[in-house]
Amino acid sequence: MTYNIFRSALVVAACVGFTACSLNEKLGDALVRKDADSIIKAPQLLQNAYNNLQYAYQDFSQTWGMSEMSTDEALGPTRGKDWDDNGVWRELHEHKWTPDHAHINNSFKGLLLLQFSATNVLNFRPNPGQEAEARFLRALSIFSVLDLYGQVPFRNPTDTLLNAPKVMKPAEAIEFMKSELTAVTPNLGNMPATQAYVANKDAARFLLMKLYLNKGAFLNRQAPTFDAADMQEIIKLADQITASGYKLADNYYDNFARDNDVKSTENIFTQQNGPGFSTSRLPSANNVFCRWMCTLHYSQRPSGWNGFTTLSDFYDKYEPTDKRLGGFYSGVTDTSGLKVGFLIGQQYDQNGNKILDRSGRPLIFTREVQLRATGDQVEMSGIRVVKYPPDFLTTKSTSENGNDASNDFVFFRYADVLLMKAEALLRTGNAPAALLLVNQIRLKRGATPLAALDLNSLLDERGRELYWEGWRRQDLIRFGKFLQPWQLKPTDDPKYLLFPIPTSDLAVNKNLVQNPGY
Amino acid sequence: MNKLRLFKNLFLCTLLLIQGFVMAQNRTITGKVTDSQGAAIPGATIQIKGTKSGTTADADGNFKLSLPTSANTLIISFMGQKTQEVNVANQTTVNIKLEAENTTLTDVVVVGYGTTRKKDITGAIAQVKAGDFNKGITTAPDQLIQGKVSGLMVVNNSGAPGAATTVRIRGVSSVRSGNQPLYVVDGVPLDGRVARPSLNVGGLGQTPDANPLNFINSSDIASMDILKDASATAIYGSRGANGVIIISTKKGTPGPTRLDVNYSIGMSNIMKRLNVLDADEYRAALKQYNLTGGDFGSSSNGMNSILRTGITHNVGVAMSGGNETSRYRASFGMQDQQGIVKKTGLKKYTATLNGQNKFLDSKQLGIDYNIMAAQTTEQLAPITNDAGFTGSLVGQALQWNPTMPIYNADGSLNILPAGKAVNPAAMSEAYNDKANISYILASVSPFFKFNDNWEYRMTYSVNHQVGQRRTSVASFINLNDVIGKGSAAYNTAELNTQLLNGFVTYNKQLNSSFNLNAMVGYEYQKFNYSGVNVNAVGFPTYAIDYTDILQAPAQANTHLSSFRNPSSELQSFFGRVTLNLKDRYIFTGTMRADGSSKFGSNNKYGYFPSFAASWNITKEEFMKGGTFFDNLALRVGYGVTGNQEFPAGASQAQYGIGSGGSASLINVANPDLKWETSKQFNAGVDFSILNNRLSGTVDYFYKNTTNLLFSFPAIQPAPASNYWINLPGKVVNNGVEVALKGVIINNKDFTWNMGVNGTFLHNELKGYSGPPVITGAINGQGVSGATSQRLANGYPLNTFYLRKFIGFDDKGQSVYADNGEKLYYLTNPNPKVLLGVNTELIYKKWSLAASGHGAFGFQVYNNTANTVLPIGNLGSVNIAKSLLGNGEALTNAPSASSRYLENGSFFKLDNVTLTYNIGNVGKVLKNAAVYVTGQNLFVITKYTGFDPEVNTDKNVNGVTSFGIEYSPYPTARTFMFGLLFSL
Repeated sequence: MTYNIFRSALVVAACVGFTACSLNEKLGDALVRKDADSIIKAPQLLQNAYNNLQYAYQDFSQTWGMSEMSTDEALGPTRGKDWDDNGVWRELHEHKWTPDHAHINNSFKGLLLLQFSATNVLNFRPNPGQEAEARFLRALSIFSVLDLYGQVPFRNPTDTLLNAPKVMKPAEAIEFMKSELTAVTPNLGNMPATQAYVANKDAARFLLMKLYLNKGAFLNRQAPTFDAADMQEIIKLADQITASGYKLADNYYDNFARDNDVKSTENIFTQQNGPGFSTSRLPSANNVFCRWMCTLHYSQRPSGWNGFTTLSDFYDKYEPTDKRLGGFYSGVTDTSGLKVGFLIGQQYDQNGNKILDRSGRPLIFTREVQLRATGDQVEMSGIRVVKYPPDFLTTKSTSENGNDASNDFVFFRYADVLLMKAEALLRTGNAPAALLLVNQIRLKRGATPLAALDLNSLLDERGRELYWEGWRRQDLIRFGKFLQPWQLKPTDDPKYLLFPIPTSDLAVNKNLVQNPGY
Repeated sequence: MNKLRLFKNLFLCTLLLIQGFVMAQNRTITGKVTDSQGAAIPGATIQIKGTKSGTTADADGNFKLSLPTSANTLIISFMGQKTQEVNVANQTTVNIKLEAENTTLTDVVVVGYGTTRKKDITGAIAQVKAGDFNKGITTAPDQLIQGKVSGLMVVNNSGAPGAATTVRIRGVSSVRSGNQPLYVVDGVPLDGRVARPSLNVGGLGQTPDANPLNFINSSDIASMDILKDASATAIYGSRGANGVIIISTKKGTPGPTRLDVNYSIGMSNIMKRLNVLDADEYRAALKQYNLTGGDFGSSSNGMNSILRTGITHNVGVAMSGGNETSRYRASFGMQDQQGIVKKTGLKKYTATLNGQNKFLDSKQLGIDYNIMAAQTTEQLAPITNDAGFTGSLVGQALQWNPTMPIYNADGSLNILPAGKAVNPAAMSEAYNDKANISYILASVSPFFKFNDNWEYRMTYSVNHQVGQRRTSVASFINLNDVIGKGSAAYNTAELNTQLLNGFVTYNKQLNSSFNLNAMVGYEYQKFNYSGVNVNAVGFPTYAIDYTDILQAPAQANTHLSSFRNPSSELQSFFGRVTLNLKDRYIFTGTMRADGSSKFGSNNKYGYFPSFAASWNITKEEFMKGGTFFDNLALRVGYGVTGNQEFPAGASQAQYGIGSGGSASLINVANPDLKWETSKQFNAGVDFSILNNRLSGTVDYFYKNTTNLLFSFPAIQPAPASNYWINLPGKVVNNGVEVALKGVIINNKDFTWNMGVNGTFLHNELKGYSGPPVITGAINGQGVSGATSQRLANGYPLNTFYLRKFIGFDDKGQSVYADNGEKLYYLTNPNPKVLLGVNTELIYKKWSLAASGHGAFGFQVYNNTANTVLPIGNLGSVNIAKSLLGNGEALTNAPSASSRYLENGSFFKLDNVTLTYNIGNVGKVLKNAAVYVTGQNLFVITKYTGFDPEVNTDKNVNGVTSFGIEYSPYPTARTFMFGLLFSL
């Protein structure tokens, strides 16, 4: 019996008892951290950080939508069965959004992804120049999160991702950005030697100007204050940027054209677009082509998505001679009949034939628009806005409606430097010097020089010059006008000076506190 | 892993020879074995009592046997018949009539790493045999058992040939994808994936998944065992939590070689059409709504332009035979199924070879082998899960303006400019998409029987699949991303899994009333998946298929990418003990330890125990003499099972390389990640009464799933939006299952059988305090970003979370509760009750079988009605007829809301088959039969879409959706004629 048991045990052991193997997971197309340390170099991670600008800033639904659709400049009307989209566009314009708003949620993640990827560059032994670029991108992300959400989750390069990061309140975030931008400026490239799509000294200075200008608003959105010392810093930084040799462009729309990397004399910081740049970025991220797609009618060329418009009150801020209203643009209007700038009234093709809507009526864009477009106007209501001249050349071999347009996306532009300097002068009691700067721009744009300048007319000028560039919400808050009623937004509530922290982020990071009122 | 050592061990085992028997033989006996009706039983086993020698009956049931003079008794046995002992002393000829056995008790059931007699089962296991399978056209085995088993729900996700199914055993327990049961084919657990590349060409969206079981030929399957409760599935450990379906293929039986042939031809048409307007109705509607445009003066039907009668041919040939020491079965199958949508279908070629050989004089050493090879060619239409405003083919066909001609006067296709409606016939013409997959599933399994008690078996298996998919969209179609350029993709995928296991079984009748069966084993599995994708736009001509000239487009317009998923390894130790006391008390205990490379470094091993007991009351003394119950047994069981269906690599930091050389951290590593745990209690009763004419099973189960694997919002700033965690909270599934089988009439010429099964399910997410989890994307024009379902504490999974639709205001605009600013938890898509009914009438040589199934108490979200056919289409494209005059304004926005929730309850007559059993024809044909089958004959439902049994994949961030219809491939109704015979 003992023998049997022994034999049985032996058989079992022999047949079953393999040496247990150690279970090491081998990654396929990716590297584990240890290998990445020696194989991956800082420039590769830096490229990834730049790539992460696209979804956060270029896509029409993200920070751009939050910064423009929530203002008097832009509206996403629901057009019958189209553009209801769970009410996200109407909510932005009416100031009725909630913490469940899909785009408010995604923007938070997109901007913080940018922070993460820029920060991670610092773990891979960057040289001083690469480090400066990464820290600039990180500061840009922090600036936007602070601007939109009022508080900034922040991770140091070596923080573990499983722990909730600390959250910077406005004062801390402002000090951090100030010291960062000041520290990295010397190590960034000089303009114009550096390409505008690479972070450069002037880009850092520009962002610092924005920071000084909005500091008071970030600290108290209901009653912003403006330190004289900060205004002096702005003027100083503006002069440093001017010294790099920027000029206001002869053709305003060259700043946004497919070859704006060559033609623009104003662009300070951009993101490079074109085949191989756009399509490889985040899934579902659109490059700048969505600026025209989301406004153009189906029957136009390129065939658009028939969505966004501006409002007639905003349109009426322009004089008829203002070149910023747009018109013929070479390579666009001669190709498809499409004009750039503001589109109103009957639309024509390149041969001068009237374009028809989908049910065969002449396509006439109306002045007025409703939150829910109705009746015959459902497809045609609203003034359309083509800030970036569509790129027909690059997309010739692919698709006019594809994501390959070469227009570089403009973050920072020289005209804004002048307007910020003018504002700093005006806020420190030097209205005459400010007026000179504003009129310098107006003359170039074909508008009548102003006789005098006050905050209201400066805000209007900022609107006219920088329309649809993503600054309007910030400007309206700084000028104390964001809560005022305007077209299709009759009432408001102070809580809308900030966007809510997304519900899911609030749940996973206890250091975040929901913004008041949500 | 030292594989070499395994083989060495095996070799050692084979050297342990045990002496065989040698017999003196000096007389011959002949005889014939028949069943109770007098029909020959080929293959019946005739054994000389007290020895291991014997023979098998030939095709006519005859046998001839030499036996020693000392032998007086023969044991005659055959599956399904009662074993008989016959005294043959002083006889030279015997005729033996076997009686049919109460099959429910003697069937062998596959339980994982072995089999057991059905009477020894302590867990909730259901078996469906080939004879009870659903008839008609099936492309994958899961369709064979639809409606046949209580607790099992099989939903055809769409009507496309070869489309995936949603299979749920005892409800949904997981909150992410990976709710499908584990499939085990002849002892080899499968990877749940299939090497079909996915793609999205021309912005048309994702085509639905293919069924990973398409490589199996339905007519090769002998039986399917459905392991439902944890005491049955725990032996599969970390992969058993969703239940296990064991597929056993047909094997050769000792006896003369036989050739089985079957052929069938089927005709399929759309089962149900949606009610849209025809040309005259459309013109009338334009007038009714005072629209001036929109009448293009013609008359057309978009759906007709893409539909056809699909013809399906199915040919199968199988050869089998063998003797006591060597048997085999080889089969070949060809199925050519045309879909009811033009340019769709599935061609499938299968070949299998399996067999068993026994070696050595003692026949102690044996080898089982099994090779399944298949090739499928799936032709797909652009019918997608998530099409945007251009729609997918079915959406375009439904929407097509019925006054707009499909063809111009010159016979060419009427193609509108970019941005306008897409002509479905042109879309069908422009789109070419073929997925070719080659499959090999091979296993070799040597075994050695040391003596009556000990047996060792090992298995090595390889599952290798290579898929390639060629897709092109011709430049003439007016899709924004395609027109004037053309678009193409060539994608490949490769799946490789390997398995090596070994286990020892010990079986001993310790004394007259005590039987011990024990098994202990080891298993190692490895999974790999990789692929290469090429896509390009801008082709000079569509006269040649784009995928044949991928070099043509400019380099900048060609995109190349490839991937290799992290490999994952699973290493397991397992064992089972079954004690049978006097055939009355049966105890089973199992234990499995699973180590997975996927699990985080802090949780490499999981342990999955189970216990179960059954009590056969009818064997008790106090039941003796009682006549009411022929069988009455109670079962209780409890066990722990796991689920590890999260992506490999999730537990460690991964740095990925992007295009242009960029690199980034691509995930948030979670080294604590582990399996999801399901604890399940089961109690059941098996009974049969009235001379076994009525038998049944009732089970109650309570399943508690914790450590839910979940793709959770990452704590920003982070490299990804989500990361994998084990979610605090639990999913509770409980319910009752009832299965009844009855013989209503049983005469010499006429038999009527009936089976009914019902399942009552309840599902709820409990103890969860995190943010509500969103899923159920709604797609189409004007609903970007809309979702319809949530996973929230206190609600069933996938509860609809929507605006409450109240009606229309006087301007015809939708009115919602709270102005539509508040969303509500509403009903859910999980059926409360499942029902299956099967019946068979046999009159002489005729038999009529019917089966149906239903699901009740759930709702379906009709995304098709929401965004494909809204009233706002009027004037440009078509609308649902039911919208006419409903008070809705043309400008009303079709927001996602409760308006599109519909009662999904249904009963479907799946199958009616009339068979004429010709029997033997002359000396040549045997067992010949002809049959006609009708499939999907009718559905009783209030649901207005194509089919309430639908599940378009609308996941959000990998969180599974359920019960949403979005312009799917329509369900087909099929009539089929078939014949089969043997040689």
